[in-house]
Amino acid sequence: MKPAIRTEGLSKRYGSTLALDGLDLTVGEGEVYGYLGPNGSGKTTTIRLLLGLHRPSDGRAELFGVDAWGDPVRAHRRVAYVAGEPFLWPSLTSAETFEFLARLHRGTDVAYRDVLVERFQLDTRKKIRALSKGNRQKVQLIAALATRAELLLLDEPTSGLDPLMEVAFRDCIEEAKGRGQTVFLSSHILSEVEALCDRVGILRDGKLVDEGTLAELRHLAVQTVEVTFQGQAPQLPPLEGVHVQSAGPNALRFEVSGSIGPLIAALAEHPVATLTSREPSLEEIFLHHYDGTDGHAGS
Amino acid sequence: MGLTAARALARRAFRDARVRTISFAYLFVVIAYIQPVGYRDAYPTLSSRLLFARSFAENKAIRLFYGVPHDLLTVAGYTAWRVGGTLAIFAAVFGLLAAVRALRTEEDTGRMELVLAGSVGRGTAYLAAMAAIAAGALIMGLAEFAGLLLAGLPAGGSADLALATASVVPVFVGVGALTSQLASTRRMALELGGAAVGLFLALRVIADTSAGAGWLRWATPLGWAEEVRPFAGAHPIVLLLPVAATVLLLMLAARIAAGRDIGTGVLPARECAKPHLSLLSSPLAQALRSERASLIVWLSSIGAFAYITGVIAKNTSTAGISKSLQREVAKLGAGSIVTPTGYLAFVFIFFILAVSLFVCAQIGAARHEEADERLETLLSLPLSRRGWLGGRLVLALAGATAISLTAGLLTWAGAESGGVSIALAGMLEAGLNCLPVALMFLGIAALAYAILPRASAGLSYGLVTVAFLWDLFGSLLSVPHWLVQATPFAHVGLVPAQPFRAGAAVIMLAIAVASALAAVWIFQRRDLTGP
Repeated sequence: MKPAIRTEGLSKRYGSTLALDGLDLTVGEGEVYGYLGPNGSGKTTTIRLLLGLHRPSDGRAELFGVDAWGDPVRAHRRVAYVAGEPFLWPSLTSAETFEFLARLHRGTDVAYRDVLVERFQLDTRKKIRALSKGNRQKVQLIAALATRAELLLLDEPTSGLDPLMEVAFRDCIEEAKGRGQTVFLSSHILSEVEALCDRVGILRDGKLVDEGTLAELRHLAVQTVEVTFQGQAPQLPPLEGVHVQSAGPNALRFEVSGSIGPLIAALAEHPVATLTSREPSLEEIFLHHYDGTDGHAGS
Repeated sequence: MGLTAARALARRAFRDARVRTISFAYLFVVIAYIQPVGYRDAYPTLSSRLLFARSFAENKAIRLFYGVPHDLLTVAGYTAWRVGGTLAIFAAVFGLLAAVRALRTEEDTGRMELVLAGSVGRGTAYLAAMAAIAAGALIMGLAEFAGLLLAGLPAGGSADLALATASVVPVFVGVGALTSQLASTRRMALELGGAAVGLFLALRVIADTSAGAGWLRWATPLGWAEEVRPFAGAHPIVLLLPVAATVLLLMLAARIAAGRDIGTGVLPARECAKPHLSLLSSPLAQALRSERASLIVWLSSIGAFAYITGVIAKNTSTAGISKSLQREVAKLGAGSIVTPTGYLAFVFIFFILAVSLFVCAQIGAARHEEADERLETLLSLPLSRRGWLGGRLVLALAGATAISLTAGLLTWAGAESGGVSIALAGMLEAGLNCLPVALMFLGIAALAYAILPRASAGLSYGLVTVAFLWDLFGSLLSVPHWLVQATPFAHVGLVPAQPFRAGAAVIMLAIAVASALAAVWIFQRRDLTGP
């Protein structure tokens, strides 16, 4: 079976800026893939290349085995896209926009669209120009979800949505996942990615710096260990891969990359009152990749 | 604090308008310079000028375009008539565009909200916008003054003429400021303002061409500019009228602006509508849907112009034709311009220009779709780039054909009702004769769009304008014949007075097809380009 998305050495250069640098990415069918990165890291560039809107400077991108640049029309038949900014036709109403987009993308499920309109509480008689950004974003989302396309390419789809609509969005993605649709979710809202995605890729300056399931990423990232002592916190010898911080008069916080064995051994000689260890949140993993310019956890 | 903010805003607005200001200033200098020089060249002696002036009395066709003359025996008097009449219309358009851009567009895009959210009051923002436009109007006046001085006209009269023209700008700034309060969208504000310009122009035309209707000139700002009568016993006192009108309009607009919600207009905007599901089946159909209004405006204005041209075809002579147009006239053979057929054939050179500008506007609309990134939305669907651009080209082709045939048909209808019998087939042929040049420009504009999307509008409009002006004025300069001929307008047979030039048409159409194909090929291979 062909993967839904496959890129090989995909690169894009705009003038002297290297926006995307040798991206190798595979997203299998039915997977929900979170694509993380701060502003300007190359997320939108990746999606434009996946859609064949921009031409790769190097490498290639395939959707279901079809070359994205070479045969975009065939590739797009199985894809629906939501752009980060809702670019629609201001003089059309939402209902007219739905009709227009449905005629251009065969296979729209009109009944499901009505359900979505209800769920996202959209007034379809309003002209696009009279809608707020969040509501225009809903128009795009509904149109894309209603196609029931096999692959949903979503570029920061919830920007401008209120928390209630954010919940509705998550429900829709869960449903899509249940139906076996593939979702490529570019985002910088970490809680959203943490809640929805099977696998996560982290992009930095156009390079994929980390990729894996959340469990894998956690394993590789730092863990936080907080220890309180009976009495004054002791002075510990420096340990490889362990960073110490004071967390009060008789408490220390350790950030540990790799095994916590050596730390446990060192603590054994001291009067430990409590010890808590916590898995890193996605936010911490993410910040871990961005803190220092060298890719290691800084300070 | 307020003053600093106002200055920053005014500077910003002035900078935003720089392309428009420069283009209009250029137009003002060129027209102000070329007309007196051309007249001096064409009618060097008093007897030739007397002949010109006498035959002019008959010529309503020319009055229609340029207004009523007060003195045609001197270079200055001729200039006042030709330059003043034309530039007053441009000044009106400039004022309207500037006001709507600075007031309604700023609100439409939400930028005004950002400004007013700071420590800037509405009054300050309004005054800053007006100050920026006033600087633009001053540049227009100075450009015209400089052109006239360069052409060797006396400073006093030149100043009167430049003032008369420049005085039209603030009045239409007032009109634009008012329509910006009434309408809630930029488009609606421009449509209302455009209707006002059209109405005032129509009043001036009636005043200048109908017996006993001269008093109507006092009812239109374009007429006031004529009544200043520069170089012919000037009445600068008349300038008080535009001043009073401007103050009145701007105060009224400011009053409305102070009392309404930001982002809304006095006239209600239709925010909701029942869905109309026609013309949504393809990008081409949707393009037709969104271009429908502008297509109707093009068709009706060209149609009206063609009809009037037809009606007055009877009263024609060579007299009002300046040296710059003589070469066109010469193509027709001696004296033939005085026949209605010859006159109509001659006027069609302007229709060719209009259709060429129309196709540039169509490519401009396509570029607009891309710059606003809606094209990205479209092309993420299973649609090919070739199909999209091809559809846009087909739409432009169909629109150009419709406009050309309308021009031919309504010229014929006008001529018939004006008592001139002329073959319908001949006029339709004259209409279709617009197409080879226009389609060549369509192909070139598409190519410019494919290669340099951001610069394409300037390039294509610029090319059409330069080619047309070169056809009119190239022969005035001492350059080799082949260089004078280096414009497609020089190779058009003036149907129906002349035979259709099939050879030239075939070459132009071949260029059109080749450039369009190249445009599609290149467009398929480039990145989509944002604003």
